[in-house]
Amino acid sequence: MSAMLRKEMRLSALILTYLFIGFALLTLVPGYPVLCGAFFITLGIFQGFQSAKEANDIVYSALLPVAKRDVVKGKYQFVMMIELCGFAMMLILTVLRMTVFQASPVYRQNALMNANPFFLGSALLLFGLFNVIFLGGFFKTAYKMGKYFIIYIFVAFLVILGAEALHYFPGLDSLNAFGFEHFGLQLALLAAGILLYAALTYLSYNKACKDFERIDL
Amino acid sequence: MSIVELKEVCKTYPAFELKDISFSLEEGKITGFIGRNGAGKTTTIKSMLNLVHPDSGEIYYFGLPLAGHEREIKQRVGYSTGTLSWYPRKPIKNIVEVTRMFYPNWDEKSYRKYMELFGLDESKKPIELSEGMKVKFNLLLALSHRAEVLILDEPTSGLDPFSRDELLEVFATLKEHGATILFSTHITFDLERVADNIIYISQGEIRAAASKRDFTKHLGQAGETLEEIFLRLERKVTE
Repeated sequence: MSAMLRKEMRLSALILTYLFIGFALLTLVPGYPVLCGAFFITLGIFQGFQSAKEANDIVYSALLPVAKRDVVKGKYQFVMMIELCGFAMMLILTVLRMTVFQASPVYRQNALMNANPFFLGSALLLFGLFNVIFLGGFFKTAYKMGKYFIIYIFVAFLVILGAEALHYFPGLDSLNAFGFEHFGLQLALLAAGILLYAALTYLSYNKACKDFERIDL
Repeated sequence: MSIVELKEVCKTYPAFELKDISFSLEEGKITGFIGRNGAGKTTTIKSMLNLVHPDSGEIYYFGLPLAGHEREIKQRVGYSTGTLSWYPRKPIKNIVEVTRMFYPNWDEKSYRKYMELFGLDESKKPIELSEGMKVKFNLLLALSHRAEVLILDEPTSGLDPFSRDELLEVFATLKEHGATILFSTHITFDLERVADNIIYISQGEIRAAASKRDFTKHLGQAGETLEEIFLRLERKVTE
């Protein structure tokens, strides 16, 4: 583990950020828009950034014997760690819903999005968008963050709405598969989510490094 | 021998300009950086720490350009400010534990020594410290990794006379051990006490950089104190 990541965990992070990983448990709640769990995890990260700003965290980090790029790297590593912990929980709970609870009436009669690989891929897309819009936006100034979080809320709302609505369109009902139905397609959608998450985060990280290098603290 | 060198550093803001800042710091000497509020002291210091990007100019430490050698240079440089504090609600112990991880040269003995000298308590949080104690805590972090160059932005502001005296004693001791110190201040008394050299900045320009003796000899009039010289020069610039 890098020293910057340890610094993020020991000094910059808010307990709330860790607690909000627990919103991944929403994956098990029947009749609930399960993707909101991913959104709440990012909300916890946002709260952590606000608290770190009040603690002059960025200036402290930039004064350490590291390059400015390392400061950005530490933040991205921390955010990805939180997102991937949340994702791991969602993955386990989704597997439970696909196997142990696949015939459970409370899930079968669910009008909303089902917990399946498509849901997991959509959660990764949401995390990737958070990394581009909020994290990337934050490093343009290293202090303005409200505006970028509001833009992210709007985009996240559209993604959640879209993911919830898509399976009602003709020919797209396989998106809401139960158990291992349409498993090939479902896995392909999860793979697309993984690729999008990796690509969006990578692009956002590179841009954030360049932006942060240019700004004055 | 100069250990830090600034060459024609410029930075333009909408309402302020840092113009061709050039000076050097002599190894093992204490240099006072004096100027009124808003003269450009903090912007210059922030440029020296890569917190502010100059529009042009070069900064060298130990003969190495800051650009491209940030990591190794910062290992050998300590910074403290009287105006900022970190993580107000975290115990000092936690902040120190994390800071220590970044410095292979961390000197636990010095750390303990200054903790005791400054009367700091590890279990306290910065929010529970007075302004003066916050300055001391920042300084403690800078002193505990055997920094060869100490850049101190108004370290004595907000301190009571006894604490200031203690700090100036610490500066003198560090100098004896070979440390190079740049400290910005608007308290001329501190310069009288410990500075070997003086750099005077006004309206974003270096107006004078000389040894304290030459500064008083060439810029002062008969019997003038540093404060009187500084005030007279400043009035002249603003006229």
